[in-house]
Amino acid sequence: MSALRLSPGDLTAEAGRPDFGAAAWRAPRGAHRREGPDSSLRELGAAGDGHGPKSGEAAGTNQSVREPMGELELVVEDRGGRSVTTHQFHRGALRVLRPHYLDASGQVCYVLVNPGGAYLGADLYVIDVEVADGAKLLLATQSATKIYRTPGSFAEQRMRLRLGEGARVELAPDQVIAYREASYRQNTHVTVRPSSSLIMAEIITPGWSPDGASFRYEELRLRTEIRVESGGAGAGAGGLLALDNVLIRPPLGDVTGLAFMEGFSHLGSLIVVDPRVDQALADELHEITAGFGAHTGISLTAAVLGTAGLVLRSLSNSTEELQRVAGAATALLRKRWYGQDPLDLRKY
Amino acid sequence: MPNTRTSPESYQLALQQLTDSALPTGAFAHSLGFETYIERGLVRDEASFGVWLAAFISQQLTYSDALAIRFLYEGVPVAELDALLTAQLLPRQVREASIKMGTRLLEIGAEIFPSPGLAEYQELVTSGRAAGHQPLAFAVIARSLAVPPGEALTAYLFATVTSLTQNAVRAIPLGQNAGQRLLRKAADDVAAAAERAGHLTPDDFGAVSPGLEISQMRHERQRARMFMS
Repeated sequence: MSALRLSPGDLTAEAGRPDFGAAAWRAPRGAHRREGPDSSLRELGAAGDGHGPKSGEAAGTNQSVREPMGELELVVEDRGGRSVTTHQFHRGALRVLRPHYLDASGQVCYVLVNPGGAYLGADLYVIDVEVADGAKLLLATQSATKIYRTPGSFAEQRMRLRLGEGARVELAPDQVIAYREASYRQNTHVTVRPSSSLIMAEIITPGWSPDGASFRYEELRLRTEIRVESGGAGAGAGGLLALDNVLIRPPLGDVTGLAFMEGFSHLGSLIVVDPRVDQALADELHEITAGFGAHTGISLTAAVLGTAGLVLRSLSNSTEELQRVAGAATALLRKRWYGQDPLDLRKY
Repeated sequence: MPNTRTSPESYQLALQQLTDSALPTGAFAHSLGFETYIERGLVRDEASFGVWLAAFISQQLTYSDALAIRFLYEGVPVAELDALLTAQLLPRQVREASIKMGTRLLEIGAEIFPSPGLAEYQELVTSGRAAGHQPLAFAVIARSLAVPPGEALTAYLFATVTSLTQNAVRAIPLGQNAGQRLLRKAADDVAAAAERAGHLTPDDFGAVSPGLEISQMRHERQRARMFMS
């Protein structure tokens, strides 16, 4: 644990009541906060919360204090219109390829690489990215995130992303593929300023299984929290803009049918946060996405400090279809807001 | 000022009044997404509405409403839960429905069951520091009446289910007896949901299924509709 750096405020544990996921970032990085005042809520095992220890040895010990399998830290700052990295650290099975500039916008593009090729049981990956005032980052991945069998355990990715005033981030990862008997948790904490601009895409899909069935994984849990903070020291204003919690646990019941996956196997989400987001934009994106085969819905979040978000959710049986939906929506935003061409992420 | 300290026997009638579908919160105007399924022809009769209702109870009502009520009873500040609900209810119409009905319930509550807890929540809403969500307004009132948490939870869930079923009876339409059969069946699902909500963790809060959310979002753009959500 000594390699882990604590940030101020990380340890403000709030005793005596449930915490809401922020715990991952209040605790020292790499440490699961499974114990503590709310442990009675968390002890209930698979029948209750579905992610307790499935066998005696698993979650209680090696999950609670494990070293990250991979760590990545990036700080991106603006240097006269061009975004550059001023701090970069990686350790273990996470690294980035050398930065690219895909166009003349000054937006720096990093491609995240997992040299191991897959997430396995008890693997913890920690990503910490800060994009300073006015800086622009595009973060992609080199390949899909594959989650293999995680018997009695789970793979986990924690990501903290902070955007400064006028900062801009596009997260365009490849899909997450959960194979048979895989459990995966992804916790993403994003903090934006009122003038920040965020586009984050996500696709989750079932991996191939020997019997051809789609939902052979144990659990997919992708939780994203987006907060808006105002500038200035000690500014208390702002708050939670969006809490997107996706939880799919096929063993606990039929997830395939009406009002769950609606007969589809793949789920795509696109979240946009920007002061320019409004109902007209949501309607326009709806028109665009309605032309695709995916089953799609789009809606606005409440406004916080003058900024707002929209969430686009799509169901399909095809990763490519979901990529096209997100790609079409993203292309409109890139063009309109930044005069950029559609994202063309040929693999480097 | 009326005496709001009620004996364990007397909260029963208060609870009945609060959960009566005649309570004017406007629940008759919301399908919370099932109207989208009617439009697509997927909900069209007693059986298919029953499938939707069971999914709604085990998803939306369990992971959102029931957890909010439980955590309030466990002492999580109402402002924090209110912010979580606003952020988690991603489909705009459902978020606004919760706030609309919640605000109404706070007003009614102030008239008939005033309490310091209710006044505090109302003050947060009036000053713009909270939105005023239905399950929280209900839980604040129920707690002030000394309704035990388990009872408050099942009463709230069943009241919601009753409103939705009455709305389905009108919208699909279904016979009145079919509505009653659906409610009888839903009672088991409500009991299971309340039980399950007791075992979930804070990380589970708001984990509503994608299909429900998408249908609730799509309702915004549905052409012919009789419900506001």
